[in-house]
Amino acid sequence: MKQAMSESQDIEIATTAIVTDGQPDSKTRRYDRQLRLWAASGQSALENARILVISGSATSTSILKNLVLPGIGHFTILDPANVTPADAGNNFFLEGPDSIGKSRAGEAVRLLGELNDSVEGVADTSSLEDILAKNPDYLLGFTVVIACNLENEVLEKLATLLWEEEAGPALVVVRSAGFLAEFFIQFHEHAVIESHSEIAPSLRIDKPFPALLEYATSLDLAGMDPTDHSHIPYVVILVRALEDWKKSHGGLPPQTYAEKKSFKQGIQSMKLKYDEENFDEAESQAYRCWTDTSVPSDISKLFQDPALSSLTPTSAPFYHLVDALRRFTQEPPHTLPLTSALPDMKASTESYIHLQTLYKTRAEEEKKRFTELLDVPLDDALVDTFVRNAHGLKLLKGKKWGALDRDPGDLLKALATTPKELAIHLSLSALASISAKHEPAITVEALTAEAQALLPPGTELPDEFDDAVGEIARAPTADLPNTAALLGGLVAQEVIKVITKQYVPIESYCTVDLVETWTGVVKFA
Amino acid sequence: MATASSSQNTDWQDRYYHIDQVLDKPGPRTDPAFLAGDGVKDFLRNQAKILVIGAGGLGCEILANLALTGFKDIHVIDMDTIDISNLNRQFLFRTKDVGKPKATVAAEFIMKRVPGVKVTPYFGKIQDKDDDYYMQFNLVICGLDSVEARRWMNATLVNLVDPENPESLKPLIDGGTEGFKGQARVILPTITSCYECSLDMLNKPTAFPICTIANTPRLPEHCIEWASVLEWPRVHGDKKLDTDDPEHISWLYNVASARAKEFNIEGVTWSSTQGVVKNIIPAIASTNAIISAACCNEAFKIATSSAAYLNNYFMLIGTDGVYSYTFEHTKRDDCPVCGGDSLELSISSEFTVEQLIDLLVEKQDIQIKKPSLSTPTSQIYLQAPPQLEASTRPNLAKKVSELVPPEGEVTVTASTLPFSLSLRITYT
Ligand SMILES: [Zn+2]
Repeated sequence: MKQAMSESQDIEIATTAIVTDGQPDSKTRRYDRQLRLWAASGQSALENARILVISGSATSTSILKNLVLPGIGHFTILDPANVTPADAGNNFFLEGPDSIGKSRAGEAVRLLGELNDSVEGVADTSSLEDILAKNPDYLLGFTVVIACNLENEVLEKLATLLWEEEAGPALVVVRSAGFLAEFFIQFHEHAVIESHSEIAPSLRIDKPFPALLEYATSLDLAGMDPTDHSHIPYVVILVRALEDWKKSHGGLPPQTYAEKKSFKQGIQSMKLKYDEENFDEAESQAYRCWTDTSVPSDISKLFQDPALSSLTPTSAPFYHLVDALRRFTQEPPHTLPLTSALPDMKASTESYIHLQTLYKTRAEEEKKRFTELLDVPLDDALVDTFVRNAHGLKLLKGKKWGALDRDPGDLLKALATTPKELAIHLSLSALASISAKHEPAITVEALTAEAQALLPPGTELPDEFDDAVGEIARAPTADLPNTAALLGGLVAQEVIKVITKQYVPIESYCTVDLVETWTGVVKFA
Repeated sequence: MATASSSQNTDWQDRYYHIDQVLDKPGPRTDPAFLAGDGVKDFLRNQAKILVIGAGGLGCEILANLALTGFKDIHVIDMDTIDISNLNRQFLFRTKDVGKPKATVAAEFIMKRVPGVKVTPYFGKIQDKDDDYYMQFNLVICGLDSVEARRWMNATLVNLVDPENPESLKPLIDGGTEGFKGQARVILPTITSCYECSLDMLNKPTAFPICTIANTPRLPEHCIEWASVLEWPRVHGDKKLDTDDPEHISWLYNVASARAKEFNIEGVTWSSTQGVVKNIIPAIASTNAIISAACCNEAFKIATSSAAYLNNYFMLIGTDGVYSYTFEHTKRDDCPVCGGDSLELSISSEFTVEQLIDLLVEKQDIQIKKPSLSTPTSQIYLQAPPQLEASTRPNLAKKVSELVPPEGEVTVTASTLPFSLSLRITYT
């Protein structure tokens, strides 16, 4: 295993090869299938990340496997335990009986390390209690801390320590027993610029920018060469048809069903020949003429964030960008900045490229205006990414781990909206409380009493609780290989989203039932 | 119950401490027929024989999970060799293994890591094996990226079912991923919805009209397709394009770049060229882990009856939070593989045979390449052999209504599919 930092430099250079020319080098080839999801920027974030995993259990190593393979910079396994015969039976990153009696962290780090030479792995056999007592700052040096089936008391201490540090590591709390599991990510807030939203940004056909309007209205449709006529992009047809319509309708787009129908007929009547597919495409896209391009409510909500009213030059760039966006949308035409991403459409090369150039030029102009509205100078690449992805911005506000269990109001809301998800959460919370008491037997009765105690007096447990608690009592200490592997995938996926700040991580408890095979999210907002 | 000798040799005390918790006791939703204890453990560890199709992204995960849960007689089929781009997720392979057969390397790794597990690899195609071969397994898990191979496997297992012999019904568990998304499902051949029943749920592959590629390119993809579909054969004649050969990709990239420059199109890169011509689907370890674990968990539950199994489709989308949907996909009565009814198809009486063929190729719920058509009494058009193709070719221009009476039956076959499709034609 080599040093993480110098390797990540190499990769950054290597991965940029993907946007220049020539054949990619071996590193880029190795990561090709993931670079297509999170690009060089995401890869570089992964390579700078440091992960701490508490315990070397089957679930822990399953999570790490899915982080070492894509190339995180560093991981530490913190585990004072030696490998037991039971560990050797359910953990793929131990060598069966040969590993029994050896350090579990040491064995797991060695075998995980074989997956990727460029990842640095460390086995730490200290106990978490010791570190919390003597050297808590050590824990703050990580990007993400993952705790698997950790006992309540020490978990509470860990969660509090990390929560009190505003910019401290995110904490992922994972719990499982038999076929049931849950996990939760503790963070203060998480801003996502590149959410990879599947909703396409508006083409602004209802509010065409001057150059587009001028181009659409200047075309001599009647006198045009028939081939050219059949290659006018639908965007241009719609802008033209809408402009003509508005002239005879008091400046308004089609409103009623009858008007919309008539507008579509109008598009069909613009055809010179019946088989002009570009006009058919325009008809099918006509809804864009009466879909108002405005600031999506998700985005305007961001403008209300208290952080915007107390901005200082050292505030996070995200807030400066959002504030500039707020000011941008206050100016006509009261939309988000235009993006130059034009979908494919029936058109000749010339007419399509011309249209694309109009969009690109306008997008550049709007980006320039946006940049003028920024209070602080920011890297142009960041501004560019922000403007291109403005329609999908996300700002998640996290909660401290355990807050739900202490909030009767939230529990009641969760009970009403997601009872079967809450049933799993309650039974796993009950299991954690009972395990802390080190009682010899874990019974349905004892688990039910613990879960009942979490809810406000007089509240009935959800109907689904019996099924959940029965499974827990059946296998209270079982770290099943399939459950571990599934959690390994789900948790790694969320950690990758947290680290790369791409895509959108979960905001609450994710619960898993592998009897009926479903995942859910506890909702209480 | 006595434990077989293979287990005695390798099973150490507490090896199955975790698994045994769910095998020694039923849960609230466990079928009453579940017999907790030694019998079920003996079946799982000494008798069950399971087949894994694919030793790639899903296959590596599936093999590891099956081995850890106690399956000891595992067979795996894969026709591919290891490529460097597999190493970001196919965790049984190392850099030194590049170029070696996936099935063999994966089998050796599992046997070395998990004592007492026998993994029998086959480096080749699923089509090489006959019904007797497939009959020996209790369960089949598919971790494939090819629609065609899945359709073949599905149809083969449906055809294997003999109502007189309950052992002939082999549950098929199928997994698939793309980026942060995936699905896992359980198919009980002839009883529940099969792979073919749900073909219309697949994304339609992007196909660019040849006239766009030739005359009006607008996107970088159009230029890349031009280079691979039109320019490669024009310049290289019969020499086959090898999309795994970096030199070939470089050639395409240069040709596509030149065309893009000529038309002022931006965005042709080496990587996008490779992505388009190889139809690359993004793939990561984490999604494969989720889907494989779901598949293996179903295999474990079916083999042991320790818990109810998935009925019958689990779909996961991990791009925005964790969203999943578990539902019962229903069987199609007109499924060409497991349904009894023929598929109703209404066409214009003016339709030519060629137009019918184009329609079949386009139809999302059929997805057939190069179909041959016949009626119960005559051949309409056959793609092969060449003499028959030549003799039936004149029919392409004829109207279907001249050859098939209303409500008439047309049988559609294709070399890539192990079944025929029965159409009932009506005219408008
Ligand atoms: Zn079917």
